[in-house]
Amino acid sequence: MQPTPFIHLTHVYKDYPQAKQWQTVLHDINLTIHAHEFVAIVGASGNGKSTLLNLLSGIDTPSKGEVWVNNTPLHAINNAALTRWRGANVGIIFQFFQLLPTLNLWQNIVLPMDFLNILPKRQRRERAMHLLELVDLTDAAQRLPSEVSGGQQQRAAIARALANDPALIVADEPTGNLDAHTADAVFHLFSHLQSQGKTLVMVTHNESLAAAAPRKITVSAGRIASDTQAQTE
Amino acid sequence: MLWQKTRTDFWRYRSRFLLAMLSVMVGIFCVGSLFGMVDLLLSQMDSAHKHSRPSHINLMLRHDADLALLPELAKQFAPTRLDTLTTISIRYKLKAEDPEWLSALLVFRPPTALQQLDISTLSAGVWPHDDMLAIEQLSATASQLSLGDHVIVQTATATLNLPINGLIRQPFVKPPNLGGPIQFFAAPEFARHFAVPAHSFRQLLLQLPEPYNAEITRQQASHLRQFFADHQLPVNATILQDPEHHWGRPLLAGINGVLEIMALAALGLASVQILITLSAHITQQSSQIGVMKALGASGFILLKSYLLEALLLGVTALIFALPLAVMAAYLSSCKLLGLFNIACLDFVFSPRALLLMVLGGLGMTLLGALQPIIAGASLSPRLAMTGYGVYSDFGRSCVDRYLERAAAYCLSTLNAAALGNLFRRKGQLLFTQSMLIIAGIVFMVLMSLIASLQLTLDKESARNHFTVRLGLSQDSADADVMRAALSLPNSMLIELWQRFPGELSHNTQAIKQHGSLGIQLYGIPEDNALYQPQLDAGRWLIPSDHDKKVVVISAATAKLNGLSIGESLTIQSGKNSQDFEIIGIYRWITSSQFTIEPVYVPLATVRDLTHSKALTSVALLGALVSTPEQELTYLNALKQRITAAHIAVDNFSTTSKLAERKYAQQQFKPVLSTLLGLAVMICVVSGIGLSGTLSINVLQRTKEIGILSALGASEHTIFRLFLMEGCWHGFIAWMLSVPLAYGIAKPIAVQLGETMLGIQLDFSFDSYAVVYWLGLVSIITLTASYFPARKATQCTVQDCLIN
Repeated sequence: MQPTPFIHLTHVYKDYPQAKQWQTVLHDINLTIHAHEFVAIVGASGNGKSTLLNLLSGIDTPSKGEVWVNNTPLHAINNAALTRWRGANVGIIFQFFQLLPTLNLWQNIVLPMDFLNILPKRQRRERAMHLLELVDLTDAAQRLPSEVSGGQQQRAAIARALANDPALIVADEPTGNLDAHTADAVFHLFSHLQSQGKTLVMVTHNESLAAAAPRKITVSAGRIASDTQAQTE
Repeated sequence: MLWQKTRTDFWRYRSRFLLAMLSVMVGIFCVGSLFGMVDLLLSQMDSAHKHSRPSHINLMLRHDADLALLPELAKQFAPTRLDTLTTISIRYKLKAEDPEWLSALLVFRPPTALQQLDISTLSAGVWPHDDMLAIEQLSATASQLSLGDHVIVQTATATLNLPINGLIRQPFVKPPNLGGPIQFFAAPEFARHFAVPAHSFRQLLLQLPEPYNAEITRQQASHLRQFFADHQLPVNATILQDPEHHWGRPLLAGINGVLEIMALAALGLASVQILITLSAHITQQSSQIGVMKALGASGFILLKSYLLEALLLGVTALIFALPLAVMAAYLSSCKLLGLFNIACLDFVFSPRALLLMVLGGLGMTLLGALQPIIAGASLSPRLAMTGYGVYSDFGRSCVDRYLERAAAYCLSTLNAAALGNLFRRKGQLLFTQSMLIIAGIVFMVLMSLIASLQLTLDKESARNHFTVRLGLSQDSADADVMRAALSLPNSMLIELWQRFPGELSHNTQAIKQHGSLGIQLYGIPEDNALYQPQLDAGRWLIPSDHDKKVVVISAATAKLNGLSIGESLTIQSGKNSQDFEIIGIYRWITSSQFTIEPVYVPLATVRDLTHSKALTSVALLGALVSTPEQELTYLNALKQRITAAHIAVDNFSTTSKLAERKYAQQQFKPVLSTLLGLAVMICVVSGIGLSGTLSINVLQRTKEIGILSALGASEHTIFRLFLMEGCWHGFIAWMLSVPLAYGIAKPIAVQLGETMLGIQLDFSFDSYAVVYWLGLVSIITLTASYFPARKATQCTVQDCLIN
């Protein structure tokens, strides 16, 4: 039996205004990602891979076509609804970690829960500590981002992405600012999350990491140039 | 290219530059309008003063003097000009059926062409002759009498219905709305109706040979007083005038100085706003600076580029502020000139104010811009181009860490983030807080100044147990005054004082005096209970001082002459002189160059010294009244009884307690309103500063807003975050400004009271001002934060993240 598509893009176009004309960044994208998949999106800079990630995380909307994620038509809902949906359904990890510098690590993790306001306050704190334990940062919970290393900041950012227990985790160049050893650790964390039932989509320039992902999509000139599944042993 | 970049920057960051420009505009406006107003005011006052041909010495006699004295006087003092006039107190009615008489002064003077000094001029109608009157123009406004109206005047023998056919400007007049009397004018020949002896005068005006010398004039005035004393003509008051400078100058000197300082402070705050704006602008453009430097742009080129932006900003602010300030200076000077009975001339402007606006406006703009521009221009290309993600500009100092821990412990994450954000750019925080704190301190100090003034007046009022202070034109027998005054059913208490001519000396040297030349030596009865001045040292007169040679003098005179309790003073009254011991030093609240200093001695002692009869010069009356209306009714009735007893009332020195209190408040109102207006200006500048800081924060943290939005923060949450940052600014500024204001309010308010209002204040910190300031700072911060917070919500998540 065919598994239910978790992410489904049909005939998606994305145009941006540039000077006096529109530039099409994505051309007729058709893509299906199933639940619990771990997908790496690769491609040269400026070919549209981050735009694609933005579309399926609800950060941006398509100019044409449909984007369905977990049965939600992202192309058809307004900004406020998209914000609420994003907070509840997507965990986003950025290249430069993007932790709020004025909050300590556990406060950074509590923040998305505060935005959604779905758990009692005490439970939010307990969950934040649990997530920090998951990424092995319990000791640094009270530290400010400026007081910990880049690798620790990225692990805290991953914990933050998991705060509202989203089904989908998207990561834009999550290892781009990390050394090889830390990048490997982050990758293993992603694999672990996949095994826990999360769907992961990661944009990366790192060919070896992309190769290690179960599925690799190559974007070139705004189109999907290849879509390959790794051989399972 | 440089011009193109400047233009593009201006358009792209228009809201930021607009805010900076607004604050510079406010600063330039304050400087231009206040300095302009002061210049126009003083120059037009001096011009009007010189035009009136001012007397150097103005002697007001207690009795009528014969004009035959003048040749002798001219021979002895050799004045260049000499003039005389007579002023008396009269009673008038507007209609015959009016139940009560009103009080006024009547000045007998010939037409302008025949006047020698202190020229009164005809503003409209004709100079009074025969049986007609003219009215002083301020009196006309206050009494709503105009040309063609009639008034019924009570003369010595009859009541006359007289037309008002002229409107006259008198250069030396106390405005009726500040407690001055209504003044009518009549021809000298008309004085016969009021039993004024023919060929007599009550006031002598005299001009000494040029050049004017204050010390010589003072000496001559003393000799003149002695001259009249020798002729049994005591002098009530002596006024000295500098012919070049208007008599109102000293009254304005302190006020003007403070206003000018506050205007410069407003310009200084505007300069801080420029610094904040340019710092943010350059921080945001640091990568652009890096690229330009990498492409070979020198520091000088960048300096030129950004200085051009700052200059353009200053010039634009100047273009808008200058005409407004020039107009405001002209209009406000006209309003204040009206207080001195001076007509406003055609539109004029002050070149000094123009120069200050141009130099100050551009100079302060460039000064504020210089530091961030130099810092930006000297950035290395590598450093300038380095900048990733959300700035980690928090957590480097222990203050940050303590703050974060405290916030994590007791605040929600959003509140903690808002508080932390405040401390991310500490320079910006310092400048923004400085502006808000200065505004808060200015506001609370001014409110305390007003509260202190009220307290001082309240205390003065509480010390005065009388209802009416009745001044008499001629000393009258105690028994007659008492009988007439107590015949009113409301009169409960009476106290009779006698005034004596007197001169004070210490160790054979005439003492220097604070007020007008001469003293009013008051003999106070032993059972005195209706009045006691505020004592700074020693004690007030008590019954056991009866026939003792003791004296109470003012603190100002004591300070001026280095006198203290226990020292002796020689009092000369007529040909008699005796040493008196200083037992008390009182605070003279309403002292000025035109008031005559009272000196208090036991009545029995001074009567004994001068071999004087029991006469009354001043009567204090306590009556059963509680409202100003009842007080006025009582005063009018009292005057009628006294006049009916053929005792002449001196309207100028007759006052009532509640009305005096009202006039005192009215007198300070223009000064306090101007100060509060300036405080509002400073609040506006600080509000613009805060708004600018928050707007810049929004621009600098665009990416952070995108991240928050990507994490699920709604527009409302982001709006709240920035609004809370503004509120934190306001709250911190409030917390810091309250103790600072409390600490410095007393010395500043007391100093301002002395400098601006000419009185020594009893200080009272206005606790309500703390609450009002909290309300005001909340309004300022909410208003200032609203638009930046709205702007923060208008950035879409993708736009914010791309930025």
